[in-house]
Amino acid sequence: MSVTTINDVEFGEELPVFDPDTSLENVIRFTEAAGWRGSRFTDHAAARKEGLPGALVPGIMSQGFLAAMIHRWAPTAIITNVDTIFRAPVIVDDVYHINGVITDVDLDAGTVEVDLTVTNEKAETRVFGTAAVQLPT
Amino acid sequence: MFGQQSNPVILDLHTHSIKSDDGRAKVQNYCQWIRNRELPIDGFVLTEHRQFDLESDYSSLAKSFDLCILKGAEVETEYGHVLVFGVTEALMGEFDFSSIHLPLAQVIEAAARHHAVPVPCHPGRKRVGMSAHLAEFGIPDGVRIVEIYNGGSRDQEDTIAQAMATEHNYLGIGGSDAHIVSHVGRCATRFPGQIRDERELVEALNAGEFEALTFRDAA
Repeated sequence: MSVTTINDVEFGEELPVFDPDTSLENVIRFTEAAGWRGSRFTDHAAARKEGLPGALVPGIMSQGFLAAMIHRWAPTAIITNVDTIFRAPVIVDDVYHINGVITDVDLDAGTVEVDLTVTNEKAETRVFGTAAVQLPT
Repeated sequence: MFGQQSNPVILDLHTHSIKSDDGRAKVQNYCQWIRNRELPIDGFVLTEHRQFDLESDYSSLAKSFDLCILKGAEVETEYGHVLVFGVTEALMGEFDFSSIHLPLAQVIEAAARHHAVPVPCHPGRKRVGMSAHLAEFGIPDGVRIVEIYNGGSRDQEDTIAQAMATEHNYLGIGGSDAHIVSHVGRCATRFPGQIRDERELVEALNAGEFEALTFRDAA
């Protein structure tokens, strides 16, 4: 169920889990659209030659996934800030899950804070952060 | 004052708030989260990066939520990061908490003089964990306790920490290393008796009667 106003939101509420498409095809589409054609994002072998574990999902693409997740949950939301901390690389073609949960609600201001976590299949946190979101009152 | 502790007491010994440069959690929201999710912990210790937060007073929050909220620090040495429990203003005069190049021996010696307890944290982690530096610097003197469960651990980091603790006969604690609200309480430490302030925490750590816990599988 999607959220439309601040009154629909409760502290501790979990956003629907979002599994981002980190396939090489999708990452190539993103890098071409963004004008980033670095082989570390689009070629596993080239990335490994740089000492990376594989091709990387660009950080701004991960942030885009986070924003997309929030808008699937609350299409009317205005995301005023997404603050991410990258603890480990997000690798192309690996499976990830994005979890979000409401950790602060200001009914008067119409704002919520969302904890965001990108985990791999071993439940290890690769990226975490918070988003500040404005919702209609 | 934190009043009605269960017996035994379970504390998350490693958390960060917005006082840390990479912390994103407000302390009040940690409290709300613990009660909202009915987490099996009685409180937590704020171990801010490279500082001891003298200013903040969380006593009213602690009372409101009936939680134990204590303060420590996480400092940086050539052996990686080290939690310090029982920080006093006198201890803060012994070394520069903001330095990222503290000698571990200096931290351990100063802590001993001021009845504080140093605990290398996430010791199985590359670069910022103690095990990564043993080959270069040798086994440090004076380490008694290390963190063997860290809520932010990846790959084999906790396994490495536990193996190191077993090999060197270190005691082990657990802490979530939470930087965001929803990560608090993922790992913790169980103590047999009451802990109401930093002095009692130091006494309990020195007594050596505690057990590291992980709740990550339950999260």
